[in-house]
Amino acid sequence: MYKERHAWYFLTIPAILLLTFSLIPAAWALFLSFTNYNVFQPLQFVGLENFQRAFTNELFGKAIFNTFYYWILVTPALVVLPILLAVLVNQKIPLINFFQLTYYFPFLVSVVVTALLWKMMFRQDGIMNYFLSLFGIEPVGWLTSSSTAMPSIGLITIWQGLGYYMLIYLAGLQAIPKSLYEAAEIDGAGFWKKQFHVTFPMLRPIIFFVTIVSTLSAFKEFTLMLVMTDGGPLYATTTVVYLVFLEAFEYLNMGYASAISFILFVIILIITLINRRVFERDD
Amino acid sequence: MTAHAAQVEKRKQRMGKRTIISRIISYILLTIVAFITIIPFIWTLSTSFKGQNEPVYSFPPNFIPQNFTFENYISVWTTLPIPLYLWNSVILTFFGVLLPLIFCSLAAYPLARMEFKGKNLIFLIIVATMMIPGEVTMIPVYLIIQKLGLMESFAGVILPGAVSAFGIFLMRQAFFAIPKEVEESAFMDGATVLQLFSMIMLPMVRPMLVTLGILSFIGAWNSFLWPLLILTDPNKYPLTLGLYKLQGTFTSNTRLVAAGAVIALVPILIVFSSMQKYFVEGAYSSAVKG
Repeated sequence: MYKERHAWYFLTIPAILLLTFSLIPAAWALFLSFTNYNVFQPLQFVGLENFQRAFTNELFGKAIFNTFYYWILVTPALVVLPILLAVLVNQKIPLINFFQLTYYFPFLVSVVVTALLWKMMFRQDGIMNYFLSLFGIEPVGWLTSSSTAMPSIGLITIWQGLGYYMLIYLAGLQAIPKSLYEAAEIDGAGFWKKQFHVTFPMLRPIIFFVTIVSTLSAFKEFTLMLVMTDGGPLYATTTVVYLVFLEAFEYLNMGYASAISFILFVIILIITLINRRVFERDD
Repeated sequence: MTAHAAQVEKRKQRMGKRTIISRIISYILLTIVAFITIIPFIWTLSTSFKGQNEPVYSFPPNFIPQNFTFENYISVWTTLPIPLYLWNSVILTFFGVLLPLIFCSLAAYPLARMEFKGKNLIFLIIVATMMIPGEVTMIPVYLIIQKLGLMESFAGVILPGAVSAFGIFLMRQAFFAIPKEVEESAFMDGATVLQLFSMIMLPMVRPMLVTLGILSFIGAWNSFLWPLLILTDPNKYPLTLGLYKLQGTFTSNTRLVAAGAVIALVPILIVFSSMQKYFVEGAYSSAVKG
């Protein structure tokens, strides 16, 4: 039979790893955010100074704005478009597997390669501007203009996540009982009516899940900005986490950077709670 | 009777026509989305084979190389130590997959199958760690790696991701599903706990191990941030970091950038197409936790 000590044989090493690389760091980050730690000087307590500095800092304000902007650019698209795509690929027709896999593939491509590909697409004389020219639209600066840089990165994010979220919705679609659609058909519902009265309501929990996941990843994204635009031009793509990265590893302001990361943590927590509220209230 | 049969036949025909039309529309839509998805890949692939005197950017874009050549690949291969980068990526990915499999299973097993003091507390702590984003702990983890003397080492890149609360969750679910009789009969036959775990229980959760392995693979093969922070010696770069560091050198030559990107894409494409089923299941199970 199992004995008490057996459990600890199993748990000890994973617990040490989890403590070392998750729990202690979380507490340490909170601690650092009240200090002026910058690697070179001995650490000193500064109370709420880092937080005050953040809330009065123009760049931090801009980073907060950019983060929300990026979120609004990508999350609604990544919640809605994959549903439509999932309905489209949820058919038993030849080659459908091939299409599903094709849509999913960009999700597996590393951020560096994604950046290499899309920097070429977004060139002044690149393909994206060619497509615009087909519609008679003048060439756009995409990544080089501060007004289009963030939407361009949002476009990449949507391109990359579409197939992944499609698969998640597809799993949900296939769990919907066929009888519901048949009942709707008997009531004379057409294609769109069936989607609105059966598909969308039945997918609610998954829509909630996708909203949360895509929101969290939007708020945490910064490597795409790092490799595409270095947070520019003119800080137009500097998100909060990018600012944390910049302050911590470029300027070595570890205390201030920790404070910013904690503000982000609180924002994420609040958004998650609001999301949960909204979705629970309707039930 | 015959009138009725004729009517049914007519309806069938109409339905057949409708199905054909809806299929045509489906395929048109499917193709458009597929086109949008793969156009960056296709264009990069074609660029990587274009000769030096052939324009890369043109209106309309040229998808078929006029002077087909391998010289871009040869240049990239001789400029960058590609085999070394690939080897580093393989090592990092191997341990980046193996360690989470081992440690998440180890942690999940007692949580699912045993009774012991502090179980609830441990479980609560694991749930709590799931709430903490890695971006918040990034700075202290970096400092801890520094204090442990793991800078410049693969261990420093791998260890922070060696166990994850999410992985423990997945494995715990899989172990839960095993019936109690399995343990009872194993103990009756005189199996030790270690034998039971490694020879009976682990094989029974194989599908979940594959799923977790795939998810870890995607993360490890593409990992960028920790290698960037921890490795400064170019001989230790994985492929992602090597390409990133040298894209500056290459920006003037799009053909070489394209060839580099294709070289980085081939391994993942091979793994993906040979294990597509598991990749799809991996995406499905990442939704289960919601």
